[in-house]
Amino acid sequence: MPSLNLLGQALLAGLFTGGLYALLGLGLSLTWGLLRVINLANFALAFLGAYLSYQLATALRLDPFLTLAIVVPAFFVLGVVLQLGFQRFGISELVSLIVTFGLTVILESLIQWIWTADFRRLETPYVRATLKVGTLYVGVSGLLGFVAAAGLTLGTWAWLRWSYLGKAARALAEDGAMAAAFGVDRRRLALLLSGLSAAYAAVAGLFIALSHTLAPSQIYAWMGVVFAAVIIGRLGNALGLLAAAIAIAASEALTMAVTSPGWAPLVSFTLLIVVLLLRPEL
Amino acid sequence: MLEIDHLTVAYGDAVAVWDVSLVMGERELVTVVGPNGAGKTTLINALAGLLPIRAGTLRFDGVDLGRLPSHRFCRHGIALVPEGRRVFGGMTVEENLEIGCYASAARAHRPQSLERVYGLFPILRERRRQLAGSLSGGEQQMLAIGRALMARPRLLLLDEPSLGLAPVIADHVFEVVAAIHGDGVAVLLVEQNVAQALAIAARAYVLEQGRIVAEGAARELAQDARIREAYLGQQC
Repeated sequence: MPSLNLLGQALLAGLFTGGLYALLGLGLSLTWGLLRVINLANFALAFLGAYLSYQLATALRLDPFLTLAIVVPAFFVLGVVLQLGFQRFGISELVSLIVTFGLTVILESLIQWIWTADFRRLETPYVRATLKVGTLYVGVSGLLGFVAAAGLTLGTWAWLRWSYLGKAARALAEDGAMAAAFGVDRRRLALLLSGLSAAYAAVAGLFIALSHTLAPSQIYAWMGVVFAAVIIGRLGNALGLLAAAIAIAASEALTMAVTSPGWAPLVSFTLLIVVLLLRPEL
Repeated sequence: MLEIDHLTVAYGDAVAVWDVSLVMGERELVTVVGPNGAGKTTLINALAGLLPIRAGTLRFDGVDLGRLPSHRFCRHGIALVPEGRRVFGGMTVEENLEIGCYASAARAHRPQSLERVYGLFPILRERRRQLAGSLSGGEQQMLAIGRALMARPRLLLLDEPSLGLAPVIADHVFEVVAAIHGDGVAVLLVEQNVAQALAIAARAYVLEQGRIVAEGAARELAQDARIREAYLGQQC
């Protein structure tokens, strides 16, 4: 049995990883839940964002967080353009999955072409900075990532729940034609949501760059577990996503601490299957 | 107020409404009756901007609405109570009503409009925090009407508001429609309950197989032998 300290450290790591899952899943959950677009390219976009932040921080010696000022607006535009394409061709939910898979492969090749398949590591003071709280070591970049994840998911949840535009987005998801009949401009709102989702991918990318070594093939490593978090948290529900992401990551971290790292992937999918069995209406 | 001239509406290649001309004045209550599949819902959805117009013109207060996107229609004062109610089931009653006044002109009157709707349907005030999907059919119909009223329409389009409701509740819905009309709102009512529709409307159109086959004062149509036989189940 591992020591309490180790368990605490594992839970903390789970919390931070959960934040990353939530950041990566936020855009996916929004476009899937509200626009019926399953954007697999969300993951490749996040990695493109990670590499761009890496490049800007290394080449221009910018603070990594300042790179967001460039990458986030650029990704918002990218998300808008992507949705314009979807609207132009009026694609269905399933087709969106296939098209964005193709896009993922293209983005992966693009990343590999520019940055090669070698591992890249963003070296900044944030990466090694830690705080000591009691007997636990808290990584600063992990903590900042978690704060960003909590802030963005809670903010998005509150926006969807209380703002007029957020209510319009939910109405749009339920019955687009009726929402339009009461004055909701479907196309513009969809462009906004898609842009927002891509911007979230940029933020997720920065925190991946701060906490992980980058390689193009890593795009696929995150998909399964983030999909599980998005589905367990309910599509379009940002708060549910955060809770599911933390629950999955914490159980993974505990499994790794108690047994061996090899068992961790089993956890997220076992959770997914159990939740789907108990709540099949998802 | 509403002038429809030689209107044709189609789904792809299937034409559902042929060459329909219809006029409505301010504060009028007009009904469109006809058998299932005659194109009544198609016609009313086209008037709400949900379906594109193939040919003909649709003018409201002299403004040509025919080529406008759907979300621009309600700005001109047209609101729809659709067939099957189509409330936003995963949203609360009050959120449904708020979507009703989404357009900016209507949104400015949100508090007064909410009071008006809750005054008309006290049950909706009681249930305002409940999900619309958990309401009974009659309550959902009231919510659909309330949502349309939130848009402060000058023309209310009602598609089969009594469909699937218990007779007592259907009577209540008709009373409310008459009351809304009494407040000065023009109402276009599509109904399968022909007797009740002809009883509260001033004028009526009969739609069959996508074409207007008869029109006139509701009282006279109610006496018409063919109408009585076809729609009122009365032998002459």
